Amino acid sequence: MSGRIGVYICSCGTNISDNLNIDGLAEFSAGLDNVSYVKVHKLLCSEEGKNFLSDDVLKESPDRIVIASCSPREHEKTFRNTLQKIRFNPYLFQMVNIREQVAWPTPDKSEAAEKAKAYLRAAVKRVAFQEPLEKKEIDCNTDVLIIGAGPAGMEAALLLAKAGRKVYLVEKNSFIGGRVARYEDVFPKMECATCMLEPMMDEVMHHENIELLTCSDVQDVIGFLGNFVVKIRKRAAYVSKDKCLGCGACYEPCPVTVKNELDYNLSNRKAIYIPYTGALPNVPVIDEAHCLRFSSKDLDICREAFELGLITKEEYEMFRKKDCTACKEACPFEAINYDEREEILERKAGGIIVATGFELFDPSAVPKLGYGKIPEVYTSLEFERILSQTGPTGGNLLMKNSKGPESVAIIHCVGSRDKKYYDYCSGICCLYALKFAHMVGKKLPSANVYEIYADWCVPGKDNQAFLDSVKQGENIQFIRTPLPVDVELNQDADRIKLSCIDVSTGKRELIVDMVILCPAMVPAKNSRMISEILSISNSKEGFFAEGHTKLAPVSTNIEGIFIAGCAQGPKDIQNTIAQGAASAGQILSALVPGRRLELEVTTAEIDKDACSGCMICISLCPYKAITLDRENKVAVINEVLCKGCGTCVAACPSGAATSKHFTEQQIFAEIEEVLK
Amino acid sequence: MGKPKVAFYWCASCGGCEEAFVDLAEDILKVIEAVDIVLWPVALDFKIKDIEKLHDAEIAVSFINGAVRTDEQEDISKLLRKKSGLIVAFGSCAHLGGIPGLANFVNRDKIFDWVYKNAPSVVNNNGVFPQKKTGVIEGDLTLPEFYDTVYTLDQVIDVDYYIPGCAPPPDLILKAIEAILSGTLPEKGTVLAPDRALCETCKRRETKPEKAAIKEIKRVHQVMLDPERCFLDQGIICLGPATRDGCGERCINANMPCRGCFGPTSRVVDQGAKFLSALASIIDTNDEAEIRKITNSIVDPAGIFYYYSLPASMLRRKLNV
Repeated sequence: MSGRIGVYICSCGTNISDNLNIDGLAEFSAGLDNVSYVKVHKLLCSEEGKNFLSDDVLKESPDRIVIASCSPREHEKTFRNTLQKIRFNPYLFQMVNIREQVAWPTPDKSEAAEKAKAYLRAAVKRVAFQEPLEKKEIDCNTDVLIIGAGPAGMEAALLLAKAGRKVYLVEKNSFIGGRVARYEDVFPKMECATCMLEPMMDEVMHHENIELLTCSDVQDVIGFLGNFVVKIRKRAAYVSKDKCLGCGACYEPCPVTVKNELDYNLSNRKAIYIPYTGALPNVPVIDEAHCLRFSSKDLDICREAFELGLITKEEYEMFRKKDCTACKEACPFEAINYDEREEILERKAGGIIVATGFELFDPSAVPKLGYGKIPEVYTSLEFERILSQTGPTGGNLLMKNSKGPESVAIIHCVGSRDKKYYDYCSGICCLYALKFAHMVGKKLPSANVYEIYADWCVPGKDNQAFLDSVKQGENIQFIRTPLPVDVELNQDADRIKLSCIDVSTGKRELIVDMVILCPAMVPAKNSRMISEILSISNSKEGFFAEGHTKLAPVSTNIEGIFIAGCAQGPKDIQNTIAQGAASAGQILSALVPGRRLELEVTTAEIDKDACSGCMICISLCPYKAITLDRENKVAVINEVLCKGCGTCVAACPSGAATSKHFTEQQIFAEIEEVLK
Repeated sequence: MGKPKVAFYWCASCGGCEEAFVDLAEDILKVIEAVDIVLWPVALDFKIKDIEKLHDAEIAVSFINGAVRTDEQEDISKLLRKKSGLIVAFGSCAHLGGIPGLANFVNRDKIFDWVYKNAPSVVNNNGVFPQKKTGVIEGDLTLPEFYDTVYTLDQVIDVDYYIPGCAPPPDLILKAIEAILSGTLPEKGTVLAPDRALCETCKRRETKPEKAAIKEIKRVHQVMLDPERCFLDQGIICLGPATRDGCGERCINANMPCRGCFGPTSRVVDQGAKFLSALASIIDTNDEAEIRKITNSIVDPAGIFYYYSLPASMLRRKLNV
C-alpha cells in the first residue's frame, strides 16, 4: 500500500485546459487520500516536460504516480520510459485520460469537471494497490520453420540457409519439389521443369543449414515471433535415408500393386515405392496402408491371387502371417527397417513460413463434364503427367488404349470465374492451356487441338508473345464460349462428343479423343487445419489471408508467421518464387541474431495451491500458454508464452488465476471510485 | 471455571442445520460434555430473557444458522453478538443467504400476494395480510416485521467464522468445534472449509476432457446421467468449478450435480458471475445464433447460478421487481 502519491496534471497546451479548470482539478486531487503533492504542467510529453517529470520525481520521491493527461495509447509508453530511466518502477504509475475521454467529448464544463474528478479519484485509489513489476527478456530464436517444400518453400529455405539461418523444412510427402517437379515443360519459355528445379532440390537436400523432414507434418505450434515451439509428426518410412542408394531393387519383389495417387492414379506402384522416377530424395517409402506387414487390407487380394494360381501356397501363407519380408531380403544395403516408428519431434524457431501449395477444384462436381466417368477426360495436373517423361507413358502422348489422340480439346475456366463454384480467375490456366496446345502439336503434329475458352488472361511481359506464337499453330482452333463450364461431354463410341456454344457460330458439336479440363486452383485440403494450428486467418476462399493485399502480401495476422506461393492464392511459378524470397526477406529483417525479446510484464498467474484443476482455462488460452500439470493436477501458465490478455483470469471459476497489474482489488478500487 | 457456554440459534432456515448437529451422532455427546448449552430453541426451553441476563461476551460461541429476513431475527442476532465472544455463521443461509435468499429476485409484496392470496391453495376473500401489530380484546398481538430483502448474517452483525454447506457436513462441524475448544482458530473471517474448488476432490475430474465443450445444455430429468462422467462434459450444469470444496461430494456421489451450497472460494467476489463466465467459456461454438440458442436453453439462469448466494453476491437483489 502506498502513502505518498504524486499527481501530475498536464493541460496539453490548451487542449485540456480549454474545457477543464486545471487548478480546480489540482486542488481536488490534493485533497484525496494518500496524495502528497499535485503538480501542473503545460506539455508533459515534450522534452522539457519529460525532464521536469524526471527531476521532480527524483526530488519528491513519491511511491506512486498518477498522470492525468491524454490517452494511454498516446503517451503511456512515453511516461513509462521516462520513469524507467530514473529507476522508478513504471508499473507504480497510473494514467488518467482527461483529454480524449473528458476535455474533448464533454462540452459542458461542469460535467467535464465532475468526470475528471471521478477518473482521478479512481486512479488514485487504484494506484495505491499497484505493485512494482520487472521486465524480462529472452534470446530471440532466429531459426526458421518452413512448411512445404515446393518452389516457394525451397526458395525461402535456400535464401535463409545461405544467410546462415538454421531451417527446418517440413514436407508431408516423401519427396520435395511440390507439383512443379512433376511437370515436363513450363510456360512461357518451355523450359524443362525438372532441369530447372533439380539443382535447387539438390542444394536443399544437402545444405548443412537445412534439416529436411519429409513424410512429416506440423502438429502443434505455440509461441510467438522469436520464440515458437513446434511439434512435428514424422511418419515412419521404414527405409533409412542414410543407407538407401535408391537402386530400386526392393520394388520388384513386393507382392502388392496399387494405384499411384501421387501420379494422380495414372500409374501403378508397389507398397514400397518412390512416386515417380527422379523423385528426390530418391529413397522409397513403405506405404503402411497397403504393405502386408502393416495392413490386412490386401489379404483378400492375395487370397484371390492364390486361388487364381498367381502365387504359390507358400507365398500366400507368408503373406497371411503378415511376415512378408520380400523388400528387406531384396535390399542389398540393409536399408529397410520394419521397426521404425512414428516420431514426434520438437523444434524451436523464431519465424514460420507456410508454403503449402494448392489443389485443383474437383471437376466431378460438374457432372456434364463427365470427369471420372469418361476415361479420356483429364485434369490439367493429370495431363502434365501424361506429358512428362517420368510419367505413366514415359512422356508419350497416349490415351489409355495406348494410341495417340487425333484430336484434343482443352476446356478453360472449369469452376473458376463462376459464382456457382469459385468466382476468381486462377490466372495461370490460359497460359498452361496454351502450353498444352503447343506440346500436343510438338508431340503429335497431326493432332487437332481445340481451346475452348471464355476470355484470355495473359498478363506480363512474355505471355502475349507466347499466345501469339501458339496461335500460329496450324492445327489449333480457338472456340470462344460464354461459360466453359456449360460444355457438355458425352462418350460417343470410343470417342467423346463435345457440345458447346460458340459465340461466333452458335451451337457447336465436336468429336474428340481426349479432353483436358483446366480447373480452378483451390486451397490445399489441410489449409483449415494449418490455420487452426497456427491461428492464422483464411481468405473467404480458404487460402491463407495476407496481412495487406498490397503492402503486406506475405505477412499474416500473426507476427512472425509468413505465407508464400499458392498457399496465399493462385499464382505462377515466378510469383511463387518471388513470394518465397519475400518471406525469407521478412524473416531476415524481423529476426536479427543477438536481439533480445522483451516479454510481456503484465502476465497472468495461477496459484497452484488454489487451482482445483477444473481445466476451464486450458482450452481458452489464445496463446496455448496453459497446460495441465498432470502430477499435481493444477493448471500451469508458461510465462514466456502468456501475453496477459486476462481470458483465463476472467474464466477461472475459483479465482486461482490472477492478472498482474489487473488484480481484482485494483479493478474494483477503480470501479468503486468511478461509480461513487 | 465452568464449561464454555454455547448458543445455537436459527433465523430464516429450513431446520436442516439443526439436523446437522444431530447428525454428529455419538460425537454430539462429546460436544455436550465439553460445553454448556445456554440457548437452543429447537431442542431446549430457554427464553430470550435468560440470554439478556448474561454478561457481554459470556457465551463463548454462538452458532447462528439461517438468513436474516425479519426484525426479530436481526434483534436476536444482535443480542447474541453482544453476549458472545465468537459468532459462527452456520450453513449456507447464514453464510450466503441460501435458498431463502432467492426471495431477493422478488419483494415482500409479491411474496405476500402469492402466499396469502394468489396461491391455488389459499382462500382469502377478505384480503387479510399479516400485520406487525393486531389489536384483540386481550391487547395487542405482534408479529415480527417481514423485510423486503433477505440478508446474510454478516450483513446484519459482525461474524467471526463461517461453516458452509446446506447443511454443513459433520466432519467440518466437529473440526470447527475442536478448533474453537482448543483455541486453534485461523484468521477472523475465515470460512472453515478448504479453499479450493470442488473439482479438486471430485472423482469425476479424471473424466473431464482438457477441452470441455458444451453444444447443448440439459437438465437432470431429461437424460440418464452417467454416474462416472463429469457433469459439465455431459452438458449438465454443475457449479463444482465455482464452489468451495469440503462437502464430501454428497450430491455428486448421489449422481446429482453441484448446486454451489458451499459458496465461492475466498478469492471470488461473486460466485454466480464467476460460474457464468466459466460456463460461457466452454460453449462450443462461435456462431452468434447458436450461442444464443444454447444459452437460451438454460432454464432460470439467475436462479441456477445464484442458487445459494444471491444476497451475498454483488447483485444482492433484483431491483424494479
